[in-house]
Amino acid sequence: MKHKIFRVALALAAAALAPPSFAAPDFIAILKAVDDMGDFGKQDYSSVYTIVSEKPGENPSTTQIRLFRRDAQDQFLILIQKPEKQKGQGYLKIDDNVWFYDPESGNFSHSTIKENIQNTKAKNSDMKRYTLAEDYDVTSSAEGKLGAFDVWILDLKAKNNEVSYQRIRLTIRKDKPLPLKEEDFSVSNKLMRTMLYLPTYINVGSKTIPAKIKIVDELNKGEQSLMTISDVVVGKLPDSTFTKAFLERAQ
Amino acid sequence: MEIVKLALRNLARQKKRTFLLGSAIAFGILIVTIINGFAGAFVVNVTENFANLTAGHIFVEGVEKSASGRDIDIIRDDRALIEASEEAGIPAKYVTKRSGFQGTLIYEGRTAQLGITGVDFAHETFLPERLVFKSGSIEGMGDGQGIIISEPIAKRLGVEAGDRMLVQLKTYTGQQNVGEFAVAGITYDAGIFGNMSGYANKAYVNELLSLEPEDYQTLGLYLPSLAGLDGYGAKFYDAVKAKAQVFDKSSNEDSNPVRAMMKQAKTESWVGIKYRVFTLNDMLSQVQQIVSVLETSSLVILIVLFVIIMVGITNTFRIIMYERIREIGTMRSIGMQRGEVRNLFLYEALFLAVGGAIAGMLLSFLVMAGLSLINFGLDSPLFIILKNGHLTFKVEPIRAIANFLIVSLLTIVAAFFPARNAARLDPAVALRTVK
Repeated sequence: MKHKIFRVALALAAAALAPPSFAAPDFIAILKAVDDMGDFGKQDYSSVYTIVSEKPGENPSTTQIRLFRRDAQDQFLILIQKPEKQKGQGYLKIDDNVWFYDPESGNFSHSTIKENIQNTKAKNSDMKRYTLAEDYDVTSSAEGKLGAFDVWILDLKAKNNEVSYQRIRLTIRKDKPLPLKEEDFSVSNKLMRTMLYLPTYINVGSKTIPAKIKIVDELNKGEQSLMTISDVVVGKLPDSTFTKAFLERAQ
Repeated sequence: MEIVKLALRNLARQKKRTFLLGSAIAFGILIVTIINGFAGAFVVNVTENFANLTAGHIFVEGVEKSASGRDIDIIRDDRALIEASEEAGIPAKYVTKRSGFQGTLIYEGRTAQLGITGVDFAHETFLPERLVFKSGSIEGMGDGQGIIISEPIAKRLGVEAGDRMLVQLKTYTGQQNVGEFAVAGITYDAGIFGNMSGYANKAYVNELLSLEPEDYQTLGLYLPSLAGLDGYGAKFYDAVKAKAQVFDKSSNEDSNPVRAMMKQAKTESWVGIKYRVFTLNDMLSQVQQIVSVLETSSLVILIVLFVIIMVGITNTFRIIMYERIREIGTMRSIGMQRGEVRNLFLYEALFLAVGGAIAGMLLSFLVMAGLSLINFGLDSPLFIILKNGHLTFKVEPIRAIANFLIVSLLTIVAAFFPARNAARLDPAVALRTVK
């Protein structure tokens, strides 16, 4: 009898200490949804990025690029349209190779997806589709509010040592799988840059992409770039678009 | 023998003319010998200075393919390399193990790109001896995060010894990383190389690169001298090849063997670590090209100068022949043969060439000795071609002999036609000629 009373008391105590029984969101699924929102799959994607970069003590500089992307094969081609001095330069990603083309020399040189585009704070990797679910594990999560939006704040840790950033803190809208803020950390865990996805969007079919992204350099104070996306076209592009010859001809 | 004496006497008779012609020859030899001397020392000095900068004469770099097929520079277990060095009988004075990266130094809104080399200062004792500090000292490297930079980099960033600054880099797998350095010392500008490189502790460089403490990227074998470098390089290459995977040094992908091996890494696939084994001479094949250009230029200068001098010698010997026309007539009348008359002129030309060449060489040695005394300083932008701040010259005996023979031959050729004309003179006509 004594034992029975003890067992019931133990069960009640355990029940009292147990967390409330609601299902935690599947954060990997959320990451996947974020990835899918910008993945055009078998359809090709092209748009114009106007990047205005600011540095203390210097006049803002404008870089304009046209991006052609084939997500199904993880290919992209970036063609620089402005400034005039760099017009015709471009980057081509085929498989794991990234080539930089300079029309002045007529030569292609090896580049990497981790390089910045010209003097902007944007990297080549910012132009490719997101692969967060593939590359990162969610190590912690929190709820919060950013502006008018209820958000999930996810701490992501790289699954491999080849992605640009070892750790990312991603703030995602709760109502839609759209990121609002991305903080990128170095291997030594120092905040290197913050990407703010301003809540103005372009809807393309079932996809929603941010129209303005502000990239703040956290190491070089006062340096930032504002990317404005326009002229979005989704549809089949000729295979010849993703070739070196296209870059040579584009001049 | 009489003709030789006569030739010497003729030269002595016209001291001023002989002096001027000899000076022209001496000047040509002077210029060419100095160029040859500079070219000879150029390759030695550049190679030795590079050996100091890169801490070795023979190098090994390891390349591994990452999971995504990216090339990663790393040497993990170097036992096979050390064994190969012993088996090949490499007389290494020092064995250096370095890591490094190209990073951006950031200080109060200013940035500078710099190649930062991770050095084990406890082993590389020769490096501090070579650095000339403007401020700070090698003791500052006692701080694990210490860095030694050159004066222009310090100026660009506005840092002084003791200041701390950020460094942005990529790890060995290409991830973004940020570290912090403390300026331990600022060295005098060492030309373009000072602008390109800084030194930090290997342990911290490895940490920033995400390498294990015992890993590194370049093995350097520092020989006592450049003598036998190519032979040791070839032996070591074969010894490493017998124990591990190596890139093909004799590939035709590029005229430079190091670039050829780098190109192979981009196109080939393999498992484990594959090594690039190369020597300073492989790295500096362009320097050899510069030397070839210098040597060709000196030969062209020699020929152009002597074509001009030859014209002068030919004209002078025509005048000499005209001046001595009655003398030639007399000599021919008393029995001197045509060949002897011709030889008389040719001996004069030969003695002129020999005298001028010897004087030119002696003068060139004096000038080179004088130039060698000038101290350009260790912070000179020209430091890569200097030895301890001084110009040095090295004249190969074979080249000096070749120059001497060329000059003698050209002078004799220049004098040949007037000499032949003198020999062909009819004695009666020569004696009748009134000047």
